[in-house]
Amino acid sequence: MIKNKGYMGKILVVDLTSGEIREETLPDAVYEKHLGGLGLAAHILYARIPAGADPLGPDNMLAFVPGLLTGTGSLFTGRWMVAGKSPLTGGWGDANCGGTFAPEIKRCGYDGIFIKGISEKPVYLYVDDHTRELRDASTVWGLDTVEAEEYLETHAKEKGKKPKVVCIGPAGEKLSLISGISTDKGRMAARSGLGAVMGSKRLKAVVLSGQKRIGAHDRNEMKRLSRMCNKWVQFQPPFVTGPMTAFVGALLRVMPTVLTQDGMLYKILLKKWGTVSMNQMSPEMGDSPIKNWKGSSRDWGFRKSYSTNPDVFKNCEIVKFHCYSCPLGCGGICTMDDKYTHTHKPEYETVLSLGGFCMNQDVKGIFYLNELLNRAGMDTISAGHAVAFALECYEEGIITRKDTDGLDLTWGNAEAIVALVEKMVKREGFGHVLADGVKQAALRIGKGAEAFAVLAGGQEPAMHDSRNDPGFALHYSVEPTPGRHTLGSHLYYEMYQLWKVVKGIPKIPPMYLKGSKYKNPEKQAAIGAANSRFMTLVNCTGACLFASFLGAKRFPLFDWMNAANGWQLTPNDYMDLAGDIHTIKQSFNVKHGIEPKDCKISDRALGRPLQTEGANKGRSIDIEAMMTHYWEQFGWDGRTGKPSPETMKRLDGGV
Amino acid sequence: MAYFITETCNGCTSCARLCPAGAIQGEKKNRHVIDLGLCIECGACGRICPQSALQDPTGRAVQSVKKQFWAKPVFNHKTCMACGICINACPAGCLKPGEPSRKDKNAYPELADPGACLSCGFCADECPVEAVTLEAPPEAMAKAG
Repeated sequence: MIKNKGYMGKILVVDLTSGEIREETLPDAVYEKHLGGLGLAAHILYARIPAGADPLGPDNMLAFVPGLLTGTGSLFTGRWMVAGKSPLTGGWGDANCGGTFAPEIKRCGYDGIFIKGISEKPVYLYVDDHTRELRDASTVWGLDTVEAEEYLETHAKEKGKKPKVVCIGPAGEKLSLISGISTDKGRMAARSGLGAVMGSKRLKAVVLSGQKRIGAHDRNEMKRLSRMCNKWVQFQPPFVTGPMTAFVGALLRVMPTVLTQDGMLYKILLKKWGTVSMNQMSPEMGDSPIKNWKGSSRDWGFRKSYSTNPDVFKNCEIVKFHCYSCPLGCGGICTMDDKYTHTHKPEYETVLSLGGFCMNQDVKGIFYLNELLNRAGMDTISAGHAVAFALECYEEGIITRKDTDGLDLTWGNAEAIVALVEKMVKREGFGHVLADGVKQAALRIGKGAEAFAVLAGGQEPAMHDSRNDPGFALHYSVEPTPGRHTLGSHLYYEMYQLWKVVKGIPKIPPMYLKGSKYKNPEKQAAIGAANSRFMTLVNCTGACLFASFLGAKRFPLFDWMNAANGWQLTPNDYMDLAGDIHTIKQSFNVKHGIEPKDCKISDRALGRPLQTEGANKGRSIDIEAMMTHYWEQFGWDGRTGKPSPETMKRLDGGV
Repeated sequence: MAYFITETCNGCTSCARLCPAGAIQGEKKNRHVIDLGLCIECGACGRICPQSALQDPTGRAVQSVKKQFWAKPVFNHKTCMACGICINACPAGCLKPGEPSRKDKNAYPELADPGACLSCGFCADECPVEAVTLEAPPEAMAKAG
């Protein structure tokens, strides 16, 4: 049976405690209201995770969801998400990942796999068209993510096509609060510490091998839209060399005015190099936090960042890596001559967090650490943060060689950084102190170390400086998943070009003064709310953030949703639905005792005290006003950030 | 909807062995049955059945075709985006990413296991840019004149 909708209409619910596995059929109304992907996960987890549940206990539920548009003939919609209550922040946690796993959930016939309970012994979940069972995972427990995936690919299924695997590594098994979930041998759903949730359930992996067809209401229309979108993706004029990107960044820094960014420029960079195209451009622009948010673009100038210039990565890339249904292919597989021979091309976030953020110029070490962390299943952004935090504590004399097992943790000491991450991954000695992220490390070290911890709601923010773009400051602070860079910023808003299709949201002029971004918190909040709504839609459909940079006219997300499901909603209708889904996530946080006010990002990242040099000199953010206006955009209480009790009651209609 | 096995079936089992979804059940020498919930409408059973005992979802009888004449996917690298949709769509798992060239680092799909190809055309169906076409193997056609 093939449905003429983009969704399959069923979910799989697994209880590891009792071993029960059952299918649930969901009514169409659920999809019409919550779409799919992240929206579906929010709807079900909000109703089914009891208040006060221990994130590492049996009551927490882990959801694996593909997108509403995955496999319907649309492009860029091959991303899956994992969601649950985060042990890192104590509230809503989700992580997004690409690779080739997303369509497999649908091919098994489900719009989501929901896993609760705790297994006595290590197990993995195996699902195909005939079998749904929990199998003993004692042979793969303890293996790293690449070894485990290779073993399960060959041993879980006897014949036919290879199954798709998501698994945790040793970091997740050891309940590191900054561990993630891996697929395709090193693509990570890394944030929110959900690897620890999977580890606490003693669930090593989920292995899927389905054959079902994924439907669409009007596949020809889907394809027509895809071809239109693809035209823009394939447009690739010749572009400068890697190090020259630094000059583009420097130009953006010194200009008092900003030309509103069209995402096509970024698309061209991504297609040529991937996210590493920003390795030199971002620090020059002031978009990269340096030296644990203390430094500036002056500390990480052209010469320092040169060792990680984009061409270094392009030159050792042997094949491009495309996520499912992606015509762009920003990823890649690189060769390296180290303990490991191959690694996924390190992303910009990884290179910066283990590079400039720690003042580390050793590119070989970054390659090695990238593969080491991928195999361990640990988040590179949080790991880089933890290392930089330790470096600063060492500099300040709060910790000494005695505490660090003899490591000389000076800024940029490549050998010490590699040794420290190796310890973190194994949870040995001083590594144990850092293995649960900065928040826990600050508590364990004490002695006033928390002054150097830059956090948003317990999560380490990403490698985009909030002083350079107030949008990042806002989203780091107000999102139900704080500290995340993939949800919105002023720059993203320019690239989304949403005002071209959605009515009633602020329009950005083709050119504006840099300083204007820091004024008018009300407008910034309206921009932020539109960003949040749109990114919620992107995460519901399984679409990719980078694709949405193409702009709403070139990336026809709203039209795809209509064509895939036979709906006739306007972009504004979808934005309203997204607002409700966003409210569910916020209600989840409130239900679990999170105070939205407390998720505000640390002062250092807000320009308090002001930076005295570099790209963000003298920049500070009036975050409190922006937060209030943002919350009011969704009809929440402007003082506390909480949805009203009536709203929460209305949403609590569980399924 | 699904394919349907008529009473012409003599239980030779060739369709059950070929079905990629494992949707066909039956004893040897007895009429086989297709599970509606599992059938993915790839039509391999109809193409292989020596008795032409299959009806497609619209109720039409399906003509069997000699396996050497089954059309196989051909990829047009000029329009192909290397997005992997076809590789994922293939129920037989016979497509794989090919080797990148020195000039172009994309791994374009290729038919890695022609013997396993069911000629279902899902790869061509799902390709958004129509870079996949199904063509009968020219050498087999040449032999047959």
